[in-house]
Amino acid sequence: MRWQHLLWVVGLLGTTPAFAQSWFGADEGKLPLTAGFSDVEGAGGGGLVPWATITGYGTSDSWGANAHLTTVQLKDFELSAWGVAVGAFDRVELSYTKHTLDATGTALDGLRVQQDVYGLKVKLFGDAVYNQDSFIPQVAVGAEYKRHDGIDDGGSVGLPGLVSPTQLGAKDDSSIDYYLAATKVFLAQSMLVNLTARYTEANQFGLLGFGSATEDYSVEIETTVAYILNRKLAFGAEYRSKPDNLAADEEDAAWDVFVAWTPTRNISLVAAYVNLGSILAPVTTQDADQDGLYASLQVGF
Amino acid sequence: MRMTCKPQRGAIKHWLVTLALVCFSMGAHAEASLYEQIGGEAKFRAVVDELVVVMLSDERINFTFAETDMPKFKQLLFEQLCNITGGPCKYTGRSMEESHAKLKSTNAQFNALAEDLYIAFDRHDVPYRLQNKVMALLAPMQRDIVK
Repeated sequence: MRWQHLLWVVGLLGTTPAFAQSWFGADEGKLPLTAGFSDVEGAGGGGLVPWATITGYGTSDSWGANAHLTTVQLKDFELSAWGVAVGAFDRVELSYTKHTLDATGTALDGLRVQQDVYGLKVKLFGDAVYNQDSFIPQVAVGAEYKRHDGIDDGGSVGLPGLVSPTQLGAKDDSSIDYYLAATKVFLAQSMLVNLTARYTEANQFGLLGFGSATEDYSVEIETTVAYILNRKLAFGAEYRSKPDNLAADEEDAAWDVFVAWTPTRNISLVAAYVNLGSILAPVTTQDADQDGLYASLQVGF
Repeated sequence: MRMTCKPQRGAIKHWLVTLALVCFSMGAHAEASLYEQIGGEAKFRAVVDELVVVMLSDERINFTFAETDMPKFKQLLFEQLCNITGGPCKYTGRSMEESHAKLKSTNAQFNALAEDLYIAFDRHDVPYRLQNKVMALLAPMQRDIVK
């Protein structure tokens, strides 16, 4: 079914500025690159980290939207994500993203898990770009409701009864992440700095359920530092600590090194080397880090 | 950056000479203003001329300059850019708040002009990191221009 998603995203390419403006009142008023990208959970941000910026090119007088199609090719897993996000009045952001994680190696080869992520973000104060004479960043709060869709094809790995992450030790198959994000563009240095604190009980982003018999919410720290090379190109690095709730998993922090390219204002491509740490190491006996390529195509106005 | 270099009494002569040279070179480096780094008057006037060409063909904002006295606009914009980047100019125009009071400028228009200025800088080969240093000085004006 993936091609349908792709077609749908590419179809949005037809959403030219003039079209968006005349039909939807979208002003596309932000500068290129400042509309942010979609993170892997669909919020406006970097690859792994939500920022305080509101998705899309809409200014405080208007609205904007973004669609993303993302693939993360790891050693023994492949994460596919697609989603949409809408930003209104440079104040509120709503997003939806679908995650599909396929095991492509180890004894779990063939197993598939899916989840839905519904996001809400509200900008509290500040402006990441304009207030260059102050150190006050743009600050936003957000929540992500994550609902696990179950485990498929357990039979293919000799575990026909395995249908839910609760069987791996997770306490729940749905939960809410809460986060506070602060973002500042230091124009004189051509740098973007973001710091996010997330209150979460998600195991591997929620793909392995939420919490465990003994563990639940913890505060995790996420950060993005980027250098803006020119109006179309930025590169940087991200770090995201993650909980370690499951006995069946030895969850590590995730990090990436990325390049973000905006060839035209309506299209962005993000490519990264990403390392999510080990995944289900005690189960798969694969202790090595799950690392590889992150690639995301984003279309928006 | 300002350095104070006061050699201590009793220091040996060649050390003093070295220190003097270091102070001189640091001082000279510290005093190269953004205005001079970008290329001074000739460069800024060329960028302003280019900006006017770009913005008058930019349908997002060109209509807002329909009544503008362009030679005067160019002179004032040059003075302002020269002044804020540390050049030897005095800005003789009205405050941003006053000159934009009746225009009802939007964030989209403010950003469009900024984008056009980036394009003008690009066309005159001003390095992007220096462009951003100018933008960092202009960006806070958003608060006075967009109400």
